[in-house]
Amino acid sequence: MRKSFIALALLLVASVTGLAFGTSDVAGVWQIIFSPFTDTGSLSHQIVWELRGTRIAAAILVGASLGIAGTLAQGSTNNPLAEPTILGTSAGAALGVLLGVLSNLVEIGSVGAVLFAACGALLVTTLVFSLAHSALSLITVGIGVSAIVSALVGLTLTAVNRPDARSISFWTFGSFALVMPSDLLILAPLLLLGALAAWKLAPRLDLLSLGDAAVRHIGQRPQRIRYQSFIVLSILVAASVSLVGIISFLALAAPHIARYLFGPRNRSVVLNSAIVGALILLVADIASRSVVPPYELPIGLLTSLIGAPILIATLKRGKDVWR
Amino acid sequence: MIEIKGLTVVRGKRIVVDNFSATIALASITAITGPNGCGKSTLAQAIAGDLKYQSGQITIAGRELQTITLEEQAELRSVVEQNRNYWLSFTAREVIAMGQSKANLARMEGVMQRLQIAEYADQSVTTLSGGQAQRIDLARALIRDTPIYIFDEPLSAQDSQSKVRVIEEFKAMRSAGKTLIVIAHSDRESLSWCDQIIDFTHH
Repeated sequence: MRKSFIALALLLVASVTGLAFGTSDVAGVWQIIFSPFTDTGSLSHQIVWELRGTRIAAAILVGASLGIAGTLAQGSTNNPLAEPTILGTSAGAALGVLLGVLSNLVEIGSVGAVLFAACGALLVTTLVFSLAHSALSLITVGIGVSAIVSALVGLTLTAVNRPDARSISFWTFGSFALVMPSDLLILAPLLLLGALAAWKLAPRLDLLSLGDAAVRHIGQRPQRIRYQSFIVLSILVAASVSLVGIISFLALAAPHIARYLFGPRNRSVVLNSAIVGALILLVADIASRSVVPPYELPIGLLTSLIGAPILIATLKRGKDVWR
Repeated sequence: MIEIKGLTVVRGKRIVVDNFSATIALASITAITGPNGCGKSTLAQAIAGDLKYQSGQITIAGRELQTITLEEQAELRSVVEQNRNYWLSFTAREVIAMGQSKANLARMEGVMQRLQIAEYADQSVTTLSGGQAQRIDLARALIRDTPIYIFDEPLSAQDSQSKVRVIEEFKAMRSAGKTLIVIAHSDRESLSWCDQIIDFTHH
């Protein structure tokens, strides 16, 4: 519990840092941060609270969603290497949004786009799982199917060249540059819903770690637990991917870091990988816009750059067993 | 009573169980023996309801197994599988408790004492020896209260002292009216505690 609070405190510190630093220098920035309700009309206030505040909130919500998504992916497939980009969930979500946008049915940033993304995500994840017949083949098939779906996304984008369908870079590395305050109203409720569902599923994911037969032997259905997880996983990934593109690696790393720090119980992993995911993505976002201003570095690259050493360090400090 | 009639199980293109019949009495211990790869684990899985069989019948208390729902099967039998690998560092106690009902949890401490798990109950399962891990699976089954128990090689990793203890546990279960099916590849002499020994070599 204490470690969770430390992580939450770090998240708070990172949020305040994110408000204070950015591409432009804001005069009297600390005063604006600590008195958020005065002088709300000024340009400085808008930069700090609307621009940066929105990005910070989005990074926290997306990071938490991806952390929980990774927990569900690993728990439901009983595979430590599973994550949305490997299971095809992310690529499926991207293709779903793209099809929705190109057929002029939805636009990015809408609930409809999330729905298209969720359908694509669920379809591809289910396809990958049904094609696989072992832990190793799940990963191999997943990488293969993801590659096909990602290629389709890239080829479609090249062929149609429509700015409202976003760029290949967006669908490959993700970006917070175009996040709007209204997006938070989509992200927040879906994260809450996904987190509650994951919390409810978590004890059954513990049981699933003993293998499908052990689950059946006590009268529960492993496939049902798995598909319920896939649905929640798809919704969480859909919300993130449709608004900020594909950010890989985070969903793999966050649950592992959470397990090493807080133990393997899935309820704890759901909660703590959400905090870890939010923290890593937030720090990555701050770095992405403050390292070489006014340019913005791709968020996906910085997530890997910051997340990977943390993952390796925690694994190295632990014993030589998976947690 | 468990009645197996003309059971045939095909895996891939291989006939693993070929026209096998047997009767297992209530409140008895039946050993199924045979060399590696003779199909005795497959037979155990079929009786446990884990795989479909192509022809033949398995009836439990007069009901055909394949018509019994998963939930009802769970009320009828407990199963101990062979060789489990753990990749998450749950404690032994946590693993035994996973998915168990309140009534089962109430029996947990007693079973852990009798199987001598108590001393490593709070240790991570990833650090246990094969024998210790095997007793955790035994405990998961033994805290459940079902009329039938199916054990796939429950003694394979136990030292002679634990073997004696587990066998005593099995005998006590039989006295309490339970029906036990034990897969083993030991010789007849060491299975004197069983009521029936089925040699599966030629099936």
